[in-house]
Amino acid sequence: MKRTIIIFVVAAMVLLTLILWALNLHLSGNIQEILMLAGAIIIVGFAVYIGLVRVKSLKRKEPLEDELSKKVMTKTSSLSYYFSLYLWLFIMYISDRTTMHTHTLIGAGILGMAIIFFLSWLGIKIYLIKHG
Amino acid sequence: MDNRIRELRAKFNLSQLELAQKAGVRRETIVFLEKGKYNPSLKLAHDIAAIFNVRIEEVFIFDDTM
Repeated sequence: MKRTIIIFVVAAMVLLTLILWALNLHLSGNIQEILMLAGAIIIVGFAVYIGLVRVKSLKRKEPLEDELSKKVMTKTSSLSYYFSLYLWLFIMYISDRTTMHTHTLIGAGILGMAIIFFLSWLGIKIYLIKHG
Repeated sequence: MDNRIRELRAKFNLSQLELAQKAGVRRETIVFLEKGKYNPSLKLAHDIAAIFNVRIEEVFIFDDTM
C-alpha cells in the first residue's frame, strides 16, 4: 500500500511541475520543450497506470508482486540500462555539436531514460515474456 | 510448453482470480500462463498442480521436440 501511495504522490508532484512548466511554455514555447513535455506526460501517464493497477490488485486482495511481475521488472531494468548507456553516449556525442545548454541535455537524458524504461517494459510485456 | 490450466480450472469451477489467490500470484500471471505466454517457475507449477490435486506433468505438457 505504501508503495502505491508513493507512486501517486510522485506522479502528482511531477504533474504539478509539468503544469507549471506548461504555463511557462505558453510564453516561450519551442519545439524541444514541447517534445520534452510530451515525453514527461507519457511517463506520468505510465506512473498513474501502474498506480491504478496496484489499487485494483489491492481491491482484489491479490499480491502486488509475484514471480511474473518480478521477472518483467528485472528484464525491463537490464534492458533499459543497456539502452540508456547508448542514449548517454549519443548525448555526449551531440553535446559538442549543439547549442543546447548542459542542463537541457541532462534533462533530456533523464527524460530519455524514463521513456526507454517505459518502452522496454511495454516490449517485454508484449513480446519477450513469451520467449523467455 | 503447453498446459491444461484452463481445462482444469473449468473442471474445478474456479475463476482465474480464485486460482490466482490460491496459488498466491496475480490474476495476470494466470492469464499469461493460460495463453502460453509465460513458463512458470517449478514452485508455481508445483503449487498449481497441487491445487488441482494432480501431478505437474498432467498440467504442463513439455514438448520433447524442442
